[in-house]
Amino acid sequence: MMERQRRFLVRVGAMAGKETLHIRRDPRTLYLALVMPPVLLLIFGYGVSFDLDEIPLAISDADRSPDSRALVNAFCRSNEFEVVLRSGPEDAERWLLRGEAQAALLVRPGYARDLARGHPAKAELLIEGSDATSANQILQKAGAIARTESLRHASRAGLAASLPLEMHLWTRYNPAARSIVFLVPALTALLMAIGAVLLTALTVSGEWERGSMEQLFASPVGRFEIILGKLLPYLVLGLLQLLLVLAVGATAFDVPIRGDLGLLFVFGFFFLICMLGQGLFVSVVAKNQLVATQAAVLSSLMPSLLLSGMLFPVENMPGVLQVVSTVIPARYLVHALRGIQLKGSGLALLWPDLLALTLFASAILGLATALFQRRVA
Amino acid sequence: MTDRAILASHLTRRFGSFTAVDDVSFEVPRGEIFGYLGANGAGKSTTIHMLTGLISPSSGSAQVAGHDVGAAPDQVKRSIGYMSQKFSLYLDLPVRENLLFFGGAYGLSGRMLEARAGEVVALTHLGGLERTMTGSLPGGIRQRVALGCAILHRPNILFLDEPTAGVDPVSRRDFWHLICRLSREKTTIFVTTHHLDEAEYCHRIGLMAEGSLVALGTPASLKKTWVPGRMMVARGRGLLAAARALRDKPDVIAVEPFGAGLHVRTARDAWDPVSVASTLSSAGAADVEVRDGEATLEDVFLAVASRPAAASAEATP
Repeated sequence: MMERQRRFLVRVGAMAGKETLHIRRDPRTLYLALVMPPVLLLIFGYGVSFDLDEIPLAISDADRSPDSRALVNAFCRSNEFEVVLRSGPEDAERWLLRGEAQAALLVRPGYARDLARGHPAKAELLIEGSDATSANQILQKAGAIARTESLRHASRAGLAASLPLEMHLWTRYNPAARSIVFLVPALTALLMAIGAVLLTALTVSGEWERGSMEQLFASPVGRFEIILGKLLPYLVLGLLQLLLVLAVGATAFDVPIRGDLGLLFVFGFFFLICMLGQGLFVSVVAKNQLVATQAAVLSSLMPSLLLSGMLFPVENMPGVLQVVSTVIPARYLVHALRGIQLKGSGLALLWPDLLALTLFASAILGLATALFQRRVA
Repeated sequence: MTDRAILASHLTRRFGSFTAVDDVSFEVPRGEIFGYLGANGAGKSTTIHMLTGLISPSSGSAQVAGHDVGAAPDQVKRSIGYMSQKFSLYLDLPVRENLLFFGGAYGLSGRMLEARAGEVVALTHLGGLERTMTGSLPGGIRQRVALGCAILHRPNILFLDEPTAGVDPVSRRDFWHLICRLSREKTTIFVTTHHLDEAEYCHRIGLMAEGSLVALGTPASLKKTWVPGRMMVARGRGLLAAARALRDKPDVIAVEPFGAGLHVRTARDAWDPVSVASTLSSAGAADVEVRDGEATLEDVFLAVASRPAAASAEATP
């Protein structure tokens, strides 16, 4: 029995070792796995952003008190607004009309007095509403700043309770509505999906193309050992990729990791198995590298991008697509990553996602192994 | 363990309605070099695939190294070495890594693997090339690397599927010296080849045609059975035109173009070089020179290929 296990390990080790050598010999693989994802993330993060910043803001502070200046400063401090004009309220409106400012902040006289008395202090924000998306974003950003300000006053004076009927909208987890915070978990899933599916599809179909699969089949290496040996190095590579993308997200874009990093990697691990299994499946069916590449990219990129809830919420999809999205592993990873990174969710909340990933992984690996017959091409 | 390395009985493999190998039976004793010859598509590779456990027989059975190929393919695989048609090496890995990988695939590890790899490098004259990228080596050396990979685990039986395809003549000769050496050390060799001159190295030969084993025996006995009579070689000019005149004479069995000359085969005592030369000359050939020759396996191959149907004969060694 011991001898049997030793031989199993030796054979899997030989496969994995050989695969590692292939990877080291071929810089393209390493580039695809470790250089491309952070670069893409940086490009997306800096270039493809849905965020507005440096919104031109006109300011009219009629109160001229320390409190009103504090409010104006709160707007100026953030990168999101840029003060283009300080003047009276009429000028502010005119700038808005001419399009030289997209928003105008008007502080009425008596702002500080109302604050001091515990009355609701009033400031107005005029927004240029011709572009609804931008207007919405400005509204959100300004709302967030104003809420922070009022919270500061309330906590200082202990007056929060004196306004029983005021409704507060409060966006949690991503208060500034920065799209990169929302995109990093999604991009992580997308990049891992493409990398893992493509790399395994290429490595297995290459073995068919070279004719070495026949040689392997004639040796005592079993099909499960071939699969295991082939997947292990790419699994390690994929986890490195995850680490790298998370690190770039955290350092370059301040994307938080509020939850358990270990749990995050557990999700990454199962997701990678799903994707590696899918790549294996593709290559077993395709058997040549050209077809395998196309099938791999199509089967990983499109569904992960469009049906995972990465860009468009799953809840907004037509019913049929919602059903289809249940067999897209990226859907569960995106959900889990957003939960762990932004909300600090734990397994108690995310176990259905983990279960779904586990089911998909077992199904696809079982299917691929079954199709991967011990036969000559 | 008997002295019988391979025993095939009524081995048959069908792919749909096509029968690739049809009721093939033979035995290969331990240490023999067994040549398996036949045209493309005659069923050679399919036979090898069955004997190596890659595909299972449709009917019939085979024992390789004492294990049934249909029932225990894994045991068979452990005791054989296999070198496939394309010498499926990993060209982006160095020679040594190829050897170590295939050693590992057969369960060798650690110091035993290292030692064995060293032995194989010496045996196949690959010293100094261990760190060379396999893809940068010429065909003849790759072939030795592939052989090295196939014998690393000291198999009792070695299957070589067209091991010398696309390899230069000098490398081919060196390769066959290696094969003969392995055979002397009691490794059984089952080899398919297109090169009929190489088949002369084989102790026994099986000839396949359209899925059937049509001839089986030593090279000498095959020549005697399939190319009977007296073989003469004619050289000169205008031989092809004159050949027809000779063909129509009594006791002439065959007149075949062979290289620049003719192979003339006649009943044993009816003709001699002088009478053949004069017949060819009078039919219009010039500068005719005829001498006694020896039948080659190519003659056997041609005779088998043009055999009358159902005339399969089995010569005993």
